[in-house]
Amino acid sequence: METGIGFIRDLEVSVGHMNIERWDEPQGPTPFPTITTFRNWDRQLLSRYKPFYMPFCDLCCLCTFGKCDLTGTKRGACGITMAAQQSRIVLLASCIGAATHVSHAHELVSELIKRFGPDFRLDPGGLSVGVEAPLIRLVCGLKPETLSDLETVVSYLEREVTSLLSATHTGQEGDPLDLESKVFHSGMIDHVGLEVADIAQISGFNFPKADPDAPLIRLGVKGIDTKKPVILVIGHNVTPSVSIMEYLKEFHSADSAEVTGICCSAIDLSRNNKKARIIGPISWQMRYIRSGIPDVIVVDEQCIRTDVINEAGAVNTRVIATSEKNCIGLPDRTNDTAESIINDLVSNKLPGVLILDPLKSAQVAVETSLRIFEERRRTHRPFSEAEANEAALNCTGCMECVRSCPNELPIPDAIQSFRDGNPVNLRELLDLCNGCIRCEQACPKGIPVHRLIVYSGWEKLNNEQFTVRAGRGAIQDTEIRTVGGPLVLGEIPGIIAFVGCANYPNGGEEVARMAVEFAHRKYIVCTSGCSAITIGMYHDEDGKTPYEAYSGKFDAGCILNVGSCVSNAHISGAAVKIANIFAKRNLRGNYEEIADYVHNRVGAVGIAWGAMSQKAAAIAAGFWRLGIPVIVGPQGTKYRRMLLGRGDIDSDWTVMDSRTGEEVYTGPVPEHLFYAAETEEEAMMMAAKLCMRPNDTGKGRIIKITHYIDLYRKLYGKIPDDIYRFIRKKGDIPLTLKDSIEENLKMHNWKESPIPDPTRIRSYEGKSGESKR
Amino acid sequence: MFEEIPVEIGLVHEGERIRKSNMHCELGGPGIKEKFELVRVCQAETIVHGKISIIGPDLPDIPASSSQPFAILVEIAGEGLDSDIEGVLERRIHEYCNYIQGFMHLNQRYDIWCRLSTQAWNKGFRTLRYIGEVLIALLCSELPLIKSAQVTFFTDPVEIHKRYDDALAIYESRDARARGLHDEDVDVFYGCALCQSFAPTHVCVITPERYANCGAISWFDGRAAARIDPKGPIFAIEKGVCIDPVLGEYSGVNESARDRSMGEVTRVCLYSAYTWPHTSCGCFEGIAFFIPEVEGYGIVHRGFQEVTVNGLPFSTMADSTAGGRQVAGFHGISIEYLRSGKFLAAEGGYARVVWMPESLKEKIYSFIPAELCDVIPTEASVTSINELREFLKKNNHPVIQYWNSSEINNNESEERAGSGNNPVFTFKELPFTGNGIKITLKNAKIYAEKVIIEPVRQKRSDKGDNHE
Repeated sequence: METGIGFIRDLEVSVGHMNIERWDEPQGPTPFPTITTFRNWDRQLLSRYKPFYMPFCDLCCLCTFGKCDLTGTKRGACGITMAAQQSRIVLLASCIGAATHVSHAHELVSELIKRFGPDFRLDPGGLSVGVEAPLIRLVCGLKPETLSDLETVVSYLEREVTSLLSATHTGQEGDPLDLESKVFHSGMIDHVGLEVADIAQISGFNFPKADPDAPLIRLGVKGIDTKKPVILVIGHNVTPSVSIMEYLKEFHSADSAEVTGICCSAIDLSRNNKKARIIGPISWQMRYIRSGIPDVIVVDEQCIRTDVINEAGAVNTRVIATSEKNCIGLPDRTNDTAESIINDLVSNKLPGVLILDPLKSAQVAVETSLRIFEERRRTHRPFSEAEANEAALNCTGCMECVRSCPNELPIPDAIQSFRDGNPVNLRELLDLCNGCIRCEQACPKGIPVHRLIVYSGWEKLNNEQFTVRAGRGAIQDTEIRTVGGPLVLGEIPGIIAFVGCANYPNGGEEVARMAVEFAHRKYIVCTSGCSAITIGMYHDEDGKTPYEAYSGKFDAGCILNVGSCVSNAHISGAAVKIANIFAKRNLRGNYEEIADYVHNRVGAVGIAWGAMSQKAAAIAAGFWRLGIPVIVGPQGTKYRRMLLGRGDIDSDWTVMDSRTGEEVYTGPVPEHLFYAAETEEEAMMMAAKLCMRPNDTGKGRIIKITHYIDLYRKLYGKIPDDIYRFIRKKGDIPLTLKDSIEENLKMHNWKESPIPDPTRIRSYEGKSGESKR
Repeated sequence: MFEEIPVEIGLVHEGERIRKSNMHCELGGPGIKEKFELVRVCQAETIVHGKISIIGPDLPDIPASSSQPFAILVEIAGEGLDSDIEGVLERRIHEYCNYIQGFMHLNQRYDIWCRLSTQAWNKGFRTLRYIGEVLIALLCSELPLIKSAQVTFFTDPVEIHKRYDDALAIYESRDARARGLHDEDVDVFYGCALCQSFAPTHVCVITPERYANCGAISWFDGRAAARIDPKGPIFAIEKGVCIDPVLGEYSGVNESARDRSMGEVTRVCLYSAYTWPHTSCGCFEGIAFFIPEVEGYGIVHRGFQEVTVNGLPFSTMADSTAGGRQVAGFHGISIEYLRSGKFLAAEGGYARVVWMPESLKEKIYSFIPAELCDVIPTEASVTSINELREFLKKNNHPVIQYWNSSEINNNESEERAGSGNNPVFTFKELPFTGNGIKITLKNAKIYAEKVIIEPVRQKRSDKGDNHE
């Protein structure tokens, strides 16, 4: 036998146990966990961050006993309490979210296997990414190498979602904390689903691989070339969109049509092809569809307006549905010839079709748009000045629109000004409008309110060109190493991730401002999904968008777009990789120990300023189980409950110091796990505060405290009263604030406390001794 | 603190950049030939605590938008202060100046470049005295050993010129002392536990000839930090008895490592990458990795994005290196350590280095012994172990002397009798790979009747890894 050191002859080998696999990391304690495996860890978290309920509805109407009134101490017919019912609804929402992502992942994997075969190798990050799938390794104990490895993972995820959903049945789980534990489980499952989906599509569709210099993508409606056919893709599953690009390239030329997109399909398409144009976040659907610019709309799945067919029909735009999960009532033409479908669409025999074959849907979309666009340009009649004036005249100022508007925008006043010849107020509403068009539903006079707002703002809209950096995918292992030094030396105060949908309380500019503010303060700023798009839609004083002004690295003062909703896995994945990279903690099937590490050491916070969907709920839940706090905007209170810590109860804030085995007080860090902020100023203050962790070095704590105090002072005009809780040693005090902080310490009888090697799993030394090494 | 200063003072303003269009005036900078900043430790009686002097025009007398010659002299006194701390405190000038909202300070020493913003000027920032107040207050506040401090600003080019050469001479003598300082010359090393917040068993030992792995903390920095905050994360380690001067093993370092690593690490040999090596945290700047086929070490730094000569990229090897462990043959290092005379001294120093990236080689070229500069290849000349072997042979790299033990008498076999009950090889893990599977024998001991050692004709082909 030949070995690295020489030949060995007549060697006898006897083997006790044989594992056939390519991964030499020992299996951890919890591969493929069930819905109760981490019940203790969840309860550990929930004992500190107790659910704070804000019932959105006092009734339960899920079974035929109901409706049951659950107010006060009343119980429902099944015995359920208000608290349990709220947690149950949260679990339902999170299950919907997780199911959606898992199903999306399943479809992507199946489609890619169809294209490239089961042995197609995964490559999400080239040479700079050693830990290719941190969440799959962590949860499933698998190291996926090929597409077929992902199928194993998806089967597991589907089983778990089914179990979770079954727990919400009448007469099943009724304890609020057990329901919350299952919410956390659904979140963890969701993040694994996200990872499956994104590493599959990065590998299969050749997206940027952990690339900080991913290209800048055109964003907005300015410059759309209407001399060509325009196709709009909406949704999240990129397969039909990629197929359109491929078809164009093969049979015409990539430039022969404008392919534009909204929401995550647009983000992911631009990762595949930088010629794609992103129009805007989900809130831009109505304004863009109604503009009549797109000739053909291709919808896939998730967050698509269910009335797309009506709205498209009104402007003579053809619709192609491509997902089994979103057939929107259209005839299934999958098995018909492309030519016959195209003929039916061109002749307007059908306003839309369902085609469950991405290649065929691409052909139909492209060919139909080529045949109809000239005719459509000739006949399209935009909303006219006369129509606008007439609509405005009908307004009686009844305020129904204001009452129905999620943000209570002052619509009647703006219409009144418009009538008086001043369109500015109405135009300004466009920046604040989330495009739900509930105003139009509410108006007793049938005024097309949203149309009127868009009419006033269209010229401005049509003159603004923005950019967003294409989703880069994973964070490189080497980037994580690079920031290790500055993190412990107190040069980087934390990692802030702007994620989620576009249900903003005051328009999107707040998200962009917050991202820039934190980048300016040298935080690492990550973005994804609609938040990533929104952040790109603003210019600084030099006319640059945040992605032009800031680098896309994972480093201090950078703004990096990881990609679409499913790319959020790279943000939680980066937190998980930190444990593996710095402390060599094994990931394999070792969730609890790693979550404990992340919770106690990684100063990351998510801000979902416009979180709207059930998927956003599931994504947040995935961060919670890792102990990463999430802040939502005011609309987020409609998720029905927050997870708030009580900084004033000292006994809630102890950890075990692994060095001494003693329980030590750490202060309330991080103070909350799920928090709704009223204003952007409050969100920023809270984000800075929630970046603190028990392991912070003195220098690290100084910089975190400095930003917390600075943002708090800007908001409230004084030093925070609770600052003494965050000072462990005199060395934690920022020099320039010494006087006022020492006064605060004195007032509260402050005593020095140690900086521990923190853990909240008392038994982990014994439990995972092997994996720890 | 600083109530009378019209702008905010605080850490949040660090990193603020003031552009030309937004500046009131510039102090120092590329347009000014002679400028400097200096911290000096003095006798208490020679300075007046709190005194701030401005030699030359103050801000109102400096024309707007102009560049003004500039120098800062900070003089401090206090028992226990010595001139070794001057360099460290001098960097605080940069840090503290940047705490001032609307004031930018770049670079250090003879290269300083400051700007005052128009906004700060408009808010009433009309004298350099404010900067003096900030420096004095923060220096005394951070380091209570400083009992008195005075600051002098020079804006008169003639006055700066008079002191300029002296300042340069002080920098030079400071550098010469730092360069000339050997581990043998000091009784105390420093330990840094900052990285323990992420890697609990890692303990950095910082000596005059071994920078912290992150490349950010020198022995002088360590000394200053330990004095400034004796209970802080950077602490003194009494060297104790030198157990082995070649390996760099000291009794005090061993004791400290044992305490700080919760017993995980009991011995540390500072200059070895193989025998009880220094632990590696997660943020080391480079890796020295053993290449068994040539008995030498490759070096790779974090910025190198391609695969190294052994077919593995930095990220993969870093994974084998990191986490506060002692891994024989995978050794996390700082770039500065490559400039040290003790670099891999136990293994033979640069005479054992057989590969490094071109970009790294350029950076440290002058620290590689002249006779070795041309015989250490980079990715430009070799890309596989076989090519490396050929290159080393052809260029007669000194590492060849280590091959002799396993490559006896050119193509002649050596036979060695197995010695009874002792295993000829023991392995904690012994992997075999082939046909798509890998078998790992744990705690394998191999006993053999006969061991034959002979040289092998190298096969051309694989790089030894399956990256696609």
